[in-house]
Amino acid sequence: MIGDNARPSVEDLLRRLAPEVLGALVRRYGNFGLAEDAVQEAMLAASSQWPADGIPESPRGWLISVASRRLVDLLRSERARRDREAMVAQWVMADQDLFASPGQEASGGDDTLVLLFMCCHPALSPASQISLTLRAVGGLTTREIARSFLVSEETMTRRITRAKDSIAASHLPFRMPSAEQRPDRHAAVLHTLYLIFNEGYAATTGPVLQRVELSAEAIRLTRMLQRLVPDDTEVAGLLALMLLTDARRTARTAPDGSLIAMADQDRGLWDTKLIAVGVRLVTDAMTRGPVGPYQLQAAIAALHDEAPDFASTDWPQILALYNALLGLGENPVLRLNHAVALAMVHGPLPVSSNSRSFSATAGSPAIIACTPSEATC
Amino acid sequence: MKFMILTYGSQQDYDEMAGKPGDRAAWSAEDFAALGTFMHKLNSELVESGELVETRGLSAPVHTRRVGLRDGATVVTDGPYAESQEVLAGYWVLECESFDRATEIAARLSDCPAPEHVRVRAFADVRPIDEHQPDSGA
Repeated sequence: MIGDNARPSVEDLLRRLAPEVLGALVRRYGNFGLAEDAVQEAMLAASSQWPADGIPESPRGWLISVASRRLVDLLRSERARRDREAMVAQWVMADQDLFASPGQEASGGDDTLVLLFMCCHPALSPASQISLTLRAVGGLTTREIARSFLVSEETMTRRITRAKDSIAASHLPFRMPSAEQRPDRHAAVLHTLYLIFNEGYAATTGPVLQRVELSAEAIRLTRMLQRLVPDDTEVAGLLALMLLTDARRTARTAPDGSLIAMADQDRGLWDTKLIAVGVRLVTDAMTRGPVGPYQLQAAIAALHDEAPDFASTDWPQILALYNALLGLGENPVLRLNHAVALAMVHGPLPVSSNSRSFSATAGSPAIIACTPSEATC
Repeated sequence: MKFMILTYGSQQDYDEMAGKPGDRAAWSAEDFAALGTFMHKLNSELVESGELVETRGLSAPVHTRRVGLRDGATVVTDGPYAESQEVLAGYWVLECESFDRATEIAARLSDCPAPEHVRVRAFADVRPIDEHQPDSGA
């Protein structure tokens, strides 16, 4: 699907509709796991039929009806299996106020948001959240996701199946999280999108041509989220961070694929249009609402992007932003970058001591959660 | 007074209507289109005569959730029906002058186009709706 530039319109349309179609199906019939499979099959049918037969008058309706039919088949074969194995599909309702009204209007946009919340449920591991988000919300196939993470399709299938089983076992109702759960669940969504972007940004090896552009996909999903919650300043901050980082993409790799440190990059290759959009986004966000870690990181990226050369980087302000970030929470890459900024302002000594403590923790899982190192690229 | 016409179908019937042959032959696209045309005409006439309150078809039985109690807890069972079990598939709520008139309307359903093996088994129930119950307090 991806990489087939001959028919971008059908693919773009399908990927945009995927979460809406899945949302409509789960809202109506429940059963997220099988509904997700059914939507994938409907998308597959569409991607082979539409380019030849033309796009139907109501593409969304077409997908919903094909996926609904497929869902019946899947439910039937699941029930047949259940009957053979003498299992009963029973679950106990969660102990909650059954008469509380969910109080929401259904719309395609809401469905996409609810799906994002579902896929980024804190009960799932970060790897599962990422894979499931790419499939259920991003509309990518398991094979495409497996390729982009350089794992086998079987491994990715298992990961996604496990994630879906966890969601099924939790009997999460298909609706927005409650007001008190909302901030945590929201943070989990942003974190997942951030991880997808970093995965794409950090990937410099592998059969690039066959790989889904994960950072482009993260930007697409974050842009979609920003359209759904335009008042959220951290979503805007995250989008700005992605754009401002992505703007340096072409400058950060040498022809042989090796990384080029920011100090040595040809700044003429930086994408000035992306930088302008990113700067506008983060400036607007920071003046509007509460400032969080994504806006701070975007502001740091903006300062780097706006410096005409490495020497004229505004290190004191970058240091101030890193101090603010450290005030919100620590992680090893953050500490390294803070040390670099400190060195640029006050001299090199603190860097070496800090980077030693950084390399000691470089193998920890926390590393994946960190910003692309501004210090090195 | 109000009456309800109820029609029944199993998951097998639904599948055959969707074009998938089971033990018996599937419906053709023409069969299904003819059914649609017939229902549309019937319902339009009932709207015209002022007798139709509401009519609905239900999704396939496989989508059913059964909610009950077990050991004091509310338990949900997904898809509780057997494949060949006939369950409610659709209904009409009618406002008409008598049970006999409601029965006449239900009898028209026997003209509904369908494959022969479906037609010979098909039936509809007509039931008067209680309208003089004490107020439920709702």
